[in-house]
Amino acid sequence: MKDRLAAAVKQSRADYTEVRVERTWSSAVAFRGRRLETATVSEDQGGFVRVLDKGYGWGIASFTSLDELPAMVARAHELSRAVHVDDPIRLAETPPQSADAILELDGDVRGVPLAEKKKLLDRYNAAMLAVSDKIVDTQSSYRDEVSEVWYVNSEGTSLYQLRPEVVVSGTAIGRRNGNIEKGLESIGLRKGWNSVQNFEHQFRVVAQRAVDLLDAPRVRGGAYPVILDNELAGVFIHEAFGHLSEADFVYENPQAREMMTLGRRFGKPVLNVGDNGAAKGLRGTLPYDDEGTPTQDTPLIKEGILVGRLHSRETAAKLGERPTGNARAISFRHAPIVRMTNTYIAPGTKGVGFNDLISDIKLGVYACGAFGGQTMLENFSFTAGWGYMIRDGKVGELVKDVVLAGNLFQTLDRIDHIAGDFTWNQMGGGCGKGGQFPLPVTEGAPHVRIEEALIGGDV
Amino acid sequence: MIDRVLETARGKVDGADALWRREEQTTVAFESGRLKAVGISEEAGVNLRVLAGGRMGVAGTAAKPDPAELVGRARASAELGEVVDLEFPRSAASTLPRIPTFFDRTANASLAELIRMGRLLVERLSRPDCQVNVAVQRELADTAVGNTAGARGEYRATGIAVTADVTRIAGDDVLMVYDQYVGADMPSEADLEAVVQSVETRLTAALNIVTPPDGALPVVFTPAGLAAVVLPLEQALSGKTVLQGSSPLAGKVGELLFDGRLSIIDDPLTPGRPASRPVDDECVPSRSTGLVERGVVGRFVYDLETAARAKTQSTGNGRRGVFGKPHIGYTNILFRMADGGGAQHAAPLHTLGGGLIDDIQDGLIVDDLIGVGQGNVISGAFSHPVGLAYRVQRGEITGRVKDAAVAGNAYDLLKRIGGFGNDGRWLGARYSPSLLLEGVSVARR
Repeated sequence: MKDRLAAAVKQSRADYTEVRVERTWSSAVAFRGRRLETATVSEDQGGFVRVLDKGYGWGIASFTSLDELPAMVARAHELSRAVHVDDPIRLAETPPQSADAILELDGDVRGVPLAEKKKLLDRYNAAMLAVSDKIVDTQSSYRDEVSEVWYVNSEGTSLYQLRPEVVVSGTAIGRRNGNIEKGLESIGLRKGWNSVQNFEHQFRVVAQRAVDLLDAPRVRGGAYPVILDNELAGVFIHEAFGHLSEADFVYENPQAREMMTLGRRFGKPVLNVGDNGAAKGLRGTLPYDDEGTPTQDTPLIKEGILVGRLHSRETAAKLGERPTGNARAISFRHAPIVRMTNTYIAPGTKGVGFNDLISDIKLGVYACGAFGGQTMLENFSFTAGWGYMIRDGKVGELVKDVVLAGNLFQTLDRIDHIAGDFTWNQMGGGCGKGGQFPLPVTEGAPHVRIEEALIGGDV
Repeated sequence: MIDRVLETARGKVDGADALWRREEQTTVAFESGRLKAVGISEEAGVNLRVLAGGRMGVAGTAAKPDPAELVGRARASAELGEVVDLEFPRSAASTLPRIPTFFDRTANASLAELIRMGRLLVERLSRPDCQVNVAVQRELADTAVGNTAGARGEYRATGIAVTADVTRIAGDDVLMVYDQYVGADMPSEADLEAVVQSVETRLTAALNIVTPPDGALPVVFTPAGLAAVVLPLEQALSGKTVLQGSSPLAGKVGELLFDGRLSIIDDPLTPGRPASRPVDDECVPSRSTGLVERGVVGRFVYDLETAARAKTQSTGNGRRGVFGKPHIGYTNILFRMADGGGAQHAAPLHTLGGGLIDDIQDGLIVDDLIGVGQGNVISGAFSHPVGLAYRVQRGEITGRVKDAAVAGNAYDLLKRIGGFGNDGRWLGARYSPSLLLEGVSVARR
């Protein structure tokens, strides 16, 4: 296959040409309530070509018919010539790479019968349904894939990557009269069959929580000291800060560049943030990104100061910085754009735990888990899965509808304590940007305290 | 293609239906005011569903299909599949409604024409302190559906989307304003001008930042801002959630639950909309469905499988991709004031609020909320910070508010609608005017 790609690249008359071909084997099982929804095996495949001539823009083609590869290279070149640019597009230098990068399969999912996968998911689904007769509905899904990616460009890079992935997730819906609550568990790993075998307990816990939330009051809206648990802190740093550190947000925009000037203070000295695509065994981990650049650990905030950002080759060249291996595409249907990988808040002082963070809080909120999060640049919103009031330094009653809203700059600056209890949250789902969803990413964080944040809800 | 696959399936399974779709997209992208990339995308695939031994199985492929392999994979899927008493519709072709889905002007538009439209928007929207991104995307799709009961359906469709977003950063204040034209036919110059006017109006009104109000207040939700209010209804009116027992509207057909002037329909027959089609993805002829009529819960939407389980008829809302099994999907969903009313008259382009703000002493116009779709949507409860919202004082827009959140329950708020705006419009596949809702909880930091 690499030879086929190399031949297609060689016959291109453009100054720069890259070709990516993917073949993805996947299987999926889904339950809704007690009923099986689907059990399928799919094979998806296709190619992507991107070319650039000096003084012209990008010409791009994606296709499912691989016989068309040579024709698509010519077509992409034609498209590129339709785009004149005054300010030429440049790509930062990266040394050509040549490698076969095979990630550990940990139980090759392609060899496991679909019936076994159904049985596993049935077990987790049944565990949720068995918790209470108030669990009126569930949505459970198992999905695995093994993706083979070939990448060749005209600068001599030639790569083959084998990427496994497995996701098990479940939503338990609790209902009493008109009152409906949900609990959500999701486990996503860049591994295989062996890694998703023993999670009954986790599924039971979320179903019980959905039942408990039926009796919980809504949190009263207002400004509180807020503790984020590991999961929500991870989602927070990804959504609220991570997206601003993607250089395609600033590279063509002088005002945005000013807002994100390296050296600007973003938080107190306790705050350290980074993105590490090379971390071992995580869902956002990749040896090379989709431009063939090796991934790395990129510090973004060091002791409260902005020190870095995430790049593709194009954004790095424009800003005179170095590529960081963050150009990613969700599939052959898309061009690579600047994305996160495994984004983290580094642990604070060793030995400092959750109890140390709440001991001096008279009235606050402990926000846990994440149903989702969205940012509109400086403003963000996060929906916690559940929460507790903190009263006189102790965890109090369960509360629901905990939505954390605020301004990024103010909120980051109000992070005053960070615990030492760091964990990576290996969830399913993924990140969405520019029509590309879901991209596998991981977030990691310890417990984090925000001096004051706005919690939405009844007022 | 469909015929070969169905022919291969015949005899090996009790019944089958299949969808073949070929799509071709051309995209022109302007980044920060300059043309940056042109792309094409070509994709084709087949999705097959079989019934074997009373069980259902599915298989799909994006590669050139090998019918025997595809049928084999679908049968293997059926061996594990759940029992369902599904009946495929018979011979639909003769009864398919005629609606225009394919527009030559869109299909034949040259790359130069797509670039010209994009450039026009960039030029019209450029301001010294703003970044303008514009994308023009044209799509051609050929669809064929059929089943072993003898029904066939085929159509070609065009679609075009022109989107513009303007970002203005001043210090740490980030303002984003966005709008789009989406249609099956090419936009007229007036359609493009409407996008420009809409963006400029909202941008200009946003330059002045004011303190948000606080308390239970009247709020005008623009067609874009309505998403948080209508999303719970869209979920609850799906036959799937009804069947699962998680819809708050289950068992409420015929009850007056909303303002007596509110009607909601799903309409695949609206001319010129990209979601319109003569037949659904399961070969059921298209027709419109009254979801809510004058405040009364009417029908839920179904595909073949959920209809079979609920012992009712499919409403023609089957949707399927190349992979996975068919599911329920809305086509065009329209929120209207019964008997038309003000919604028929297009509002002047330079107004915001659909003529609903004159009597508001203190309140908001909400045009965008952050985080819609998160949380416990189906319960109707929502709570979101504002993405783009304006304060209204004594009937006038006084400026943009930041650092505020709005909360409420869609079911409570829609019981009594303070007013329907005169600014009804399409946003993607949804049509609605602005709605004035009373007693929305507004919190500020």
